[in-house]
Amino acid sequence: MAMHFIFSDEVVLLFDFWSVHSPAGVALSVLVILLLAVLYEGIKVGKARLLHQALTSLSISTSQQLIEETDQHSTSSDSPHVSRTRLRWFLCHFGQSLLHVAQVVIGYFMMLAVMSYNTWIFFGVVLGSGVGYYLAYPLLSMT
Amino acid sequence: MRTAKVRKKESSADSTFPGKMGHFHHVGMSMGMSSGDDNSTMAPSHHHPTSSASHSHSHMMMMMPMTFYFGFKNVELLFSGLVINTAGEMAGAFVAVFLLAMFYEGLKIAREGLLRKSQVSIRYNSMPVPGPNGTILMETHKTVGQQMLSFPHLLQTVLHIIQVVISYFLMLIFMTYNGYLCIAVAAGAGMGYFLFSWKKAVVVDITEHCH
Repeated sequence: MAMHFIFSDEVVLLFDFWSVHSPAGVALSVLVILLLAVLYEGIKVGKARLLHQALTSLSISTSQQLIEETDQHSTSSDSPHVSRTRLRWFLCHFGQSLLHVAQVVIGYFMMLAVMSYNTWIFFGVVLGSGVGYYLAYPLLSMT
Repeated sequence: MRTAKVRKKESSADSTFPGKMGHFHHVGMSMGMSSGDDNSTMAPSHHHPTSSASHSHSHMMMMMPMTFYFGFKNVELLFSGLVINTAGEMAGAFVAVFLLAMFYEGLKIAREGLLRKSQVSIRYNSMPVPGPNGTILMETHKTVGQQMLSFPHLLQTVLHIIQVVISYFLMLIFMTYNGYLCIAVAAGAGMGYFLFSWKKAVVVDITEHCH
């Protein structure tokens, strides 16, 4: 394996079927890697937003529950409400874990793509990270 | 042109990849390849079955897989003595890598929690300052953070070193391109995040209201 960056028209990326031998193929591979990097940045922002949404919605629901409790003094209506909140929290956290797995896998894929030592692919990763950050991070401070 | 021909030969050999890998790895290990020696030293004394011995590139191309594969024959894992040869050993390695990835996620979240706990203790330094009319005023400075030699900071540093080492190990494991081990890394990370971040989110909920 060549241990330095090269400009080449041939590259084999990640899987056996992903081997390209022409400039058009390399350009398409760079585009795919770029979109993958944009997706990576988007997932990072998406996880934070999901957590924020879950916390705000669940804190609202627990405060509503407290208001109901003080008004009605009834313990029988508690349990379905509590279990519903817990179920929603569980689902939200499970979704976040899936997003985390996707983030880990895509991060490793990008590392392996850079390890191919093809300079065009490296540019695609760097540019994709930049574009992804540019597009996704303003969405973080929304709501 | 010549290098393209060599590469095409490699791609045909790659389909029988695990078998050929075994042959090379057997020779490679005896020459201490895992210690990072120069691969070209293997070329003169190694007899390549499919091409002439002058192709030193072919040995280097076959040493490290560059695409994902599923197999458990002759899989080198991180250290020179650790070679997986059977399905049972692969299952054990899968569990070990899974637990390592889970431990990594837990360590990340534990460090976050420790940092937050040690920074909640805000230190107030009161200093006497001369006032305008000759009176002495007490000026209080609020400092949030850690001293260099305090125990929390030293503990954070040690945990940081452990975290860096484990993250590089996980990267190297993923770099073996073995499908089973990569799935173990991803699943362990997901499970660890699920188990440890559950508690963290509850803690964040409580403390966020105070800030």
